[in-house]
Amino acid sequence: MECRVLSIQSHVVRGYVGNKSASFPLQVLGFEVDSINSVQFSNHTGYSHWKGQVLTADELHVLYEGIKLNNVHQYDYVLTGYTRDTSFLEMVVDIVQELKRANPNLVYVCDPVLGDHGSMYVPQNLYPVYKNKVVPVADIITPNQFEAETRANNLISLTDSLLGDRFLVSLGSQRQVRPDGSRATQRVRIEVPKVDAVFVGTGDLFAAMLLAWTHHYPNDLKMACEKTFSVMHHVIQRTISYAHELAGPGRRPSPPQLELRMVQSKADIEDPAIVTEATVIS
Amino acid sequence: MECRVLSIQSHVVRGYVGNKSATFPLQVLGFEVDSINSVQFSNHTGYAHWKGQVLTADELNVLYEGIKLNKVNHYDYILTGYSRDTSFLETVVDIIQELKKANPSLVYVCDPVMGDHGAMYVPENLLPVYRDKVVPLADILTPNQFEAELLTGRKVNTQEDAFEVMDLLHKMGPETVVLTSSDLPSKKGDQFLVALGSQKIVKPDGSKTSQKICMDIPKVDAVFVGTGDLFAAMLLAWTHHHPKDLKAACEKTVSVMHHVIKRTITYANEMAGPGKRPSPAQLELRMVQSKADIENPAIVVEAKVLHKSSQ
Repeated sequence: MECRVLSIQSHVVRGYVGNKSASFPLQVLGFEVDSINSVQFSNHTGYSHWKGQVLTADELHVLYEGIKLNNVHQYDYVLTGYTRDTSFLEMVVDIVQELKRANPNLVYVCDPVLGDHGSMYVPQNLYPVYKNKVVPVADIITPNQFEAETRANNLISLTDSLLGDRFLVSLGSQRQVRPDGSRATQRVRIEVPKVDAVFVGTGDLFAAMLLAWTHHYPNDLKMACEKTFSVMHHVIQRTISYAHELAGPGRRPSPPQLELRMVQSKADIEDPAIVTEATVIS
Repeated sequence: MECRVLSIQSHVVRGYVGNKSATFPLQVLGFEVDSINSVQFSNHTGYAHWKGQVLTADELNVLYEGIKLNKVNHYDYILTGYSRDTSFLETVVDIIQELKKANPSLVYVCDPVMGDHGAMYVPENLLPVYRDKVVPLADILTPNQFEAELLTGRKVNTQEDAFEVMDLLHKMGPETVVLTSSDLPSKKGDQFLVALGSQKIVKPDGSKTSQKICMDIPKVDAVFVGTGDLFAAMLLAWTHHHPKDLKAACEKTVSVMHHVIKRTITYANEMAGPGKRPSPAQLELRMVQSKADIENPAIVVEAKVLHKSSQ
């Protein structure tokens, strides 16, 4: 498999968010990953302390220039996630547009990270950039409900899970062209067990794994989602078990203890046992 | 296996040098790798063009401060490679000293990158920093012949010279020294290069000695970049699994190198086409494709144990 991904995300010295969360699993699955680190921080911002440096839009451009000058700016996928800066995001859009001209088959997987549970955790002025410039060039997007509502400007009524309140519902939708040329939309629904902990980097892992599994199942969103959600489940289960072990009985694990057990989950990443079934809705 | 490595090396967007070369193989082998990127470049400097940014000594300190403030500055290994800046290197030394105080069992794997084939390719003023400050802290050192000569001030013309130089390096600090390449003639002919290793060991009766090994490694007609970084990372991994058996550790390490290099040169020649020399971009190590070889390298080189000497 010759497949090259350009991933533009954060780097943390310790732990698994951004590029740290996305690269290893994609490499394990045989993807070539070129990574531009949008920041270098000691660790993610959920710890008591964090320190580091950010890449400016100009510096991003300089790195891309280097790739272009060597004539190696051919990518099959672009992957982006958390960003805090509108000019940086706009530079990303320029780069994606140019890469799409170089390879019209390029697939841009975009996690439009804006916020969750009703509030934004990035500057508000990112919202129009995502809405007007980023999402229009995206091929696959992975918003949470809040981000989808913000973009679409209408409320999505959340159907209750039939399995009870220890599950959350995820929905997927893929536009396809049938053999006869007519268009269809496949919608899938998947129920996912909740875990009583705050994980960081799981969204980044999700987007990376969705990239990988839609690559293998480009016309079967049900299968791609089952694989992706199953990987998430295995990594999260392993992580929460280990975190509780480290924290000890009756204690809530700390952010360092809750770092994803990524390298320990290699076998699950390579070949995830399917633990959740997606239902095709239409 | 709970083993955490702090690797302070370059990052390239595309390709496999520095942290890009070291991280994936170590992670595949189950090591937790914390990585501080000393630079971020588009690609390595052997391409026609390269662009990017460097980390200053202050910025390195700031990152380490973050780790320290969270009380997660506990490492089993540190790994360093190519550096161009004396103040950066000196900050690395400070960090290592502090980490060794936090964990006295910490093992520092150091590739003292300074040059090759008789010429330096870093600023000259790095030599005294390596010699006087870095090497004394190192536990495992992977110089080539030229770097070993620079550090000890002694020339290597024969295998005996090489042994003396490695013993001098032991006295300077590291218990394990691997001369990753040399000009010494191989018994297998001129298609092979000689690598040597030396490890100080304590015998059951308490006396000290050193085990010396020798390997004949097939030469490949191409310039690879990032292979030294992969070597140091894999030596870290295999000495971790074989701490008192340098022969086994080196056989695994050199064998991994062989598999990755063979896969790489085959692919590069395919990409370049018949009769054409592959470009730097085409010669990037086939790292992700070599995952199985990294996990479980078939042994293709035998290390010979040479005379043991008492120290």
